[in-house]
Amino acid sequence: MIRIRGLRKVFPPDKVALDGVDLDISAGDCVMVIGQSGAGKTTLLRCLNRLVEPTAGEVQLNGSLVTGASPEALRLVRRQIGMIFQHFNLVKRASVLQNVLAGRLGHVPGLLSLVGRFPERDRILAMACLRQVGLEGFASRRADTLSGGEQQRVAIARALAQEPKVILADEPTASLDPKLTESIMGILQRINTESRMTLVVSQHMLETALTYGTRIVGLRQGRLVFDGPPHAITPTIVEDIYQGGVQ
Amino acid sequence: MRRTFGWAILGLAVLAIYGWFLAATEVSLSRFLRGLPWMADFVRRMVPPDLSVLGSAVVGALQTLQIAVVGTTVAALVALPLGFLSARNVARASVFYPARAVLNFFRSIDTMVYALFFVAAVGLGPFPGVLAVVTYTAMTLAKLYSESIEGIEPGPVEAITATGATRFQILRFGILPQVFPLFASYILYRLETNIRAATILGFVGAGGIGFYIQTYLRMINYPAASAVLLVLVAMVMGVDFASSRLRAHIV
Repeated sequence: MIRIRGLRKVFPPDKVALDGVDLDISAGDCVMVIGQSGAGKTTLLRCLNRLVEPTAGEVQLNGSLVTGASPEALRLVRRQIGMIFQHFNLVKRASVLQNVLAGRLGHVPGLLSLVGRFPERDRILAMACLRQVGLEGFASRRADTLSGGEQQRVAIARALAQEPKVILADEPTASLDPKLTESIMGILQRINTESRMTLVVSQHMLETALTYGTRIVGLRQGRLVFDGPPHAITPTIVEDIYQGGVQ
Repeated sequence: MRRTFGWAILGLAVLAIYGWFLAATEVSLSRFLRGLPWMADFVRRMVPPDLSVLGSAVVGALQTLQIAVVGTTVAALVALPLGFLSARNVARASVFYPARAVLNFFRSIDTMVYALFFVAAVGLGPFPGVLAVVTYTAMTLAKLYSESIEGIEPGPVEAITATGATRFQILRFGILPQVFPLFASYILYRLETNIRAATILGFVGAGGIGFYIQTYLRMINYPAASAVLLVLVAMVMGVDFASSRLRAHIV
């Protein structure tokens, strides 16, 4: 489903974040990307929808090229990729429902959406997504009146509203306490198992990654050093992934 | 030791320049004191106000209000594209540097000067006044808009971008909700300022209450002039009050 070849990202002047990553992600995978801070987890996820422009290499989604796609083609690719962020990235002054409806922007007719009107079908879908994360009663609340865990659930609903092929989650629980981490990871896991949604999650907590992932990808200094199921992880491999990052 | 000496030299230089400025502007306490009786006389001749001119004063005040409101709203819209084009985080460098330069150039010219220009171009009346208010206000608002746009959180914009939204949708749903309260507050503040600016537009033939103030002063009809001033003060205070209430509500 996602095909990554020779992916490389150098931040100017010479910070190598990704150093030739090859990876294939299949439909239905629940991939946990692990590694130290600065190992390239976030950059890898962001290169997949080109929020970060790769320096070299190739990314394909279902056979169509993401890298090198024209702005219009990129838009069509992006709407198939939901994304969840560490800091939720909701529009704080907008209502919860408006935030979820933002997930429909890639699908709705441009002019209609610019005046803030969404087709009935999209509103129903948005409400269904809110129900999926257990927040249907919060639709008209302002986003910034919600707690951190609730905001992240709204962000998940926004990603679901895109009806995406894959959801990228960039450190979705790094700003949350352990209990909320469980709740958010639980929701993501359910989406994966019940809706067969492909997930790519960057996760700095090894424990959490091993609990919720069906596949673990280890990065060290921008290179892929492990790719396998959670039970294949041994202390030696953990040592290998987490050493050497600090200079 | 040498540092103190340096500071002393600098202090003396500043003092000398300031003394020169005082001399150049002919500031003189004795002349001010000699003028005091004349000021008292001026004020004495203004009371009691001649309330028979209240009708025309109110008409003039209303026109000033109309000029300020129409001018400010049109400027608020004109400033939108200009504001986005001169925001560093929205426009590319080849656009925003020239846009900034244009803004700074036209902003350094005051409403009154534009009024003179537009009276010459389109003739007397409130319309050149509106044009003058629009020109100056659009430049000022565009600058304030662009600064608020540069201060937004990038996170929500990124999230909207990731949904596959178009550039306009990103502006509308990622940026506008973050800056709207600031924009509204700036617009109201400019409206207050423009009411004041529009009162003197009449001095150069660009409509409004200023025409009456100037006419009565020229005719040495001080009681009538003071009646007009009273109407002016009432209007400015009324608008300031309404506007500050509205602003408190928005922000």
